[in-house]
Amino acid sequence: MIGNAPFFVVGLLFLAGLVAIFMEKNLIKIAVAISIISSAVNLFLVALGYRAGGTIPVHYLAGEETLMVLPTPQAMTLTAIVIALATTALLLSLIMLVYRLYGTLDVDEIRRLRG
Amino acid sequence: MFGTVYTGFGYWDVTAWIVFFAIASGLTLWLRAQGRDDYKEGTDQDEIYWSGNPVPDDGAEISVPASSAYWGFRKAMEPFYKVLTGMHTGIGTDIVGFYVLTVAFMAVFILL
Amino acid sequence: MNWNDHLPALLLAVPLFGAFMAPIVCLFGKTLRNVLLIGISFVTMLVALLLWRNVLVGGIAVYVMGGESFNLTLPSGMALPIRIIMEVDAFSAFMVVCGSIASFAGALFSTNYMEKFSGIGRFVSLYFLLTLGMLGMMITGDFFNFFIFIEIASIASFGLVAFWRDKPEAVEAGLKYALVSQVGSMIFLIAAGSLYGKYNALNMAAIGSMLQFGVMEKLALVFIVGTLAMKCGSFPMHMWLPDAYAEAPSGVSCLLVAVSQASLYGLMRVCFSLYGINLGGSFIPWMIISMGLASMFFGVTMAVVQHEIKRLIGYHSVSQVGYMLLGLGVGLLVLTDARGMAEYGFTAMKGGIFHIFNYTMYKGLLFLAAGAIYYATGKRDLNEMGGLARRMPFTTAMFVIAAAAISGLPPFNGFVSKLLIYESVFAVHPALTVVALLTSVLTLASFVKVFQTAFLGPEKSVFTGVREVPSGMLFGMGVLTLAVLGATLFPSWTLSNLVEPAAKALVDQAGYIGAVMGGGL
Repeated sequence: MIGNAPFFVVGLLFLAGLVAIFMEKNLIKIAVAISIISSAVNLFLVALGYRAGGTIPVHYLAGEETLMVLPTPQAMTLTAIVIALATTALLLSLIMLVYRLYGTLDVDEIRRLRG
Repeated sequence: MFGTVYTGFGYWDVTAWIVFFAIASGLTLWLRAQGRDDYKEGTDQDEIYWSGNPVPDDGAEISVPASSAYWGFRKAMEPFYKVLTGMHTGIGTDIVGFYVLTVAFMAVFILL
Repeated sequence: MNWNDHLPALLLAVPLFGAFMAPIVCLFGKTLRNVLLIGISFVTMLVALLLWRNVLVGGIAVYVMGGESFNLTLPSGMALPIRIIMEVDAFSAFMVVCGSIASFAGALFSTNYMEKFSGIGRFVSLYFLLTLGMLGMMITGDFFNFFIFIEIASIASFGLVAFWRDKPEAVEAGLKYALVSQVGSMIFLIAAGSLYGKYNALNMAAIGSMLQFGVMEKLALVFIVGTLAMKCGSFPMHMWLPDAYAEAPSGVSCLLVAVSQASLYGLMRVCFSLYGINLGGSFIPWMIISMGLASMFFGVTMAVVQHEIKRLIGYHSVSQVGYMLLGLGVGLLVLTDARGMAEYGFTAMKGGIFHIFNYTMYKGLLFLAAGAIYYATGKRDLNEMGGLARRMPFTTAMFVIAAAAISGLPPFNGFVSKLLIYESVFAVHPALTVVALLTSVLTLASFVKVFQTAFLGPEKSVFTGVREVPSGMLFGMGVLTLAVLGATLFPSWTLSNLVEPAAKALVDQAGYIGAVMGGGL
């Protein structure tokens, strides 16, 4: 049970981010909430690869041990972090442009396109 | 190449349709060309009739705007459209909300 | 070293080259930039057509990125495939052909459409990145790589939708699309990660061969289906689609249509080839069918009352996606039932897949025609337009062809694919056909409204200076018109060479898995 602690944290973070998206009115806070969701997913990916008692997955530096943690989820997480970086940068610059053009950051007010 | 498409229940043939359309349009155009002998183009027989009023020069005053098309349809289905346009609020987090609700709904029902 | 073998990699390398060369080439002037835009799109289209011909003749094409040989998927006795593997079967090749034709038409159109704006170097770069993301989604055989290409396409499309950054509505549309797309991608990544965690493989064929339907796979399937249906624009999660398609520049709208089809491709790939016989009953097929019905009906009823032309066409996008979901959902429903598949399931799948081709062509043409109207008159609101047919005869003719095709009027291609869908879906339940027919009638109604208000009617004095659009835009529209007329006049050729191999490849899960797991050779 205690070994599953990372996955409980993942669930908690994901729920926190999701609730924040719906409860918050400020666009910047919504962007932060999306960032929290990506952190949760990245933590999930890294925690998947752990093997109890494993060592770093590099042959020359592992030493005597033969049980290694999986390297693939670490690669997946790095890729996902970089993608989330690009998307967050684009999202924040779009929010900045919206502020300049609308004058407000309230989600309920930015709805000229409706119906 | 110009073959027939056989669905399991019927068929569709482009060539046959085009031949039929050509015959039917030939007939229609011939019927339309049977006019009256006393019709002369370019005289006041050719003018737009606008309930006897003088026709404005600018077409903008006699054209019907697009929003007035299908007004009866919209008025008749007003309860339906009120609910539907109420759903399309345009608020960003509502879109995310509908998406998360759909995924949650599917997740609950697939596990049952 | 036969270059035919390297076509999948070439298909990704050419747009990537174009994307990175664009800022440099733009320093040398406008003509060179246009040559780059048109040239790279044309070469991509050629590579796509060659790849399609290759796959038709030689079966599934497998390409290992970075391996010793291009098709050595299981080197030296490994049990699972290593490295990122592109797997192009007939359905992928079909989608690649559709997508590259749409990209070429949009590129031709954008050479003239964007001339009054600055920063076109970045536009060209983003355009090629979007093409790359779309093509990558369609040919990859690796699940995490599919996520990567979804993200590449999404990031490029956020930038392109918000390209006119002085217009508040465009930035708002880009922002709302970015929000829902980002949440969806994160949920998709959870599904990808959990499938990896259980099966220790990222390759779609490898997971497909080992899959056993349990609780975790059910949740992963629901997350994947939900996210990809959101990206196609199916009913409850479609609100971003009319906004984004309306506010993007028209060449980009044409390409975004093809990008949504790439998500539909992903949905079908996961349901048919990844899960396939392990789909666990009929919940997901019925869910796809109901989302299809809802998209059809609610999309078109919202479209009839719109008065802005591109927003109206965007709502029609939502309803046409419903047709494809309906056809492919019926095929999925009878995937395990051989008699049902032979009687009506295969025809439904052929109808759905043919509709993908038809829809990409005529919807792209509609967006380009709306863009041509905006370029010529500066207006997008139908209340202010009128009498344009006198001034813009070519645009009018092509718009009529596209509007007749989307409404399902014979003899056009839209009629053929809708006929296949109506007749085969009737065998499942008559009510499904009734909703589809009603949608078709309402589609015709709304396009009659658009055609009459925009093109027919008395001449307005504000439009006396309107002239026909420049030749680049006419050529772009002409490419798509040729495709529509080709599918109209040669339906049985298109069905037997383009659609039927795709449908057969989609149903054949064992072939898809065997191409990679059998060593690839």
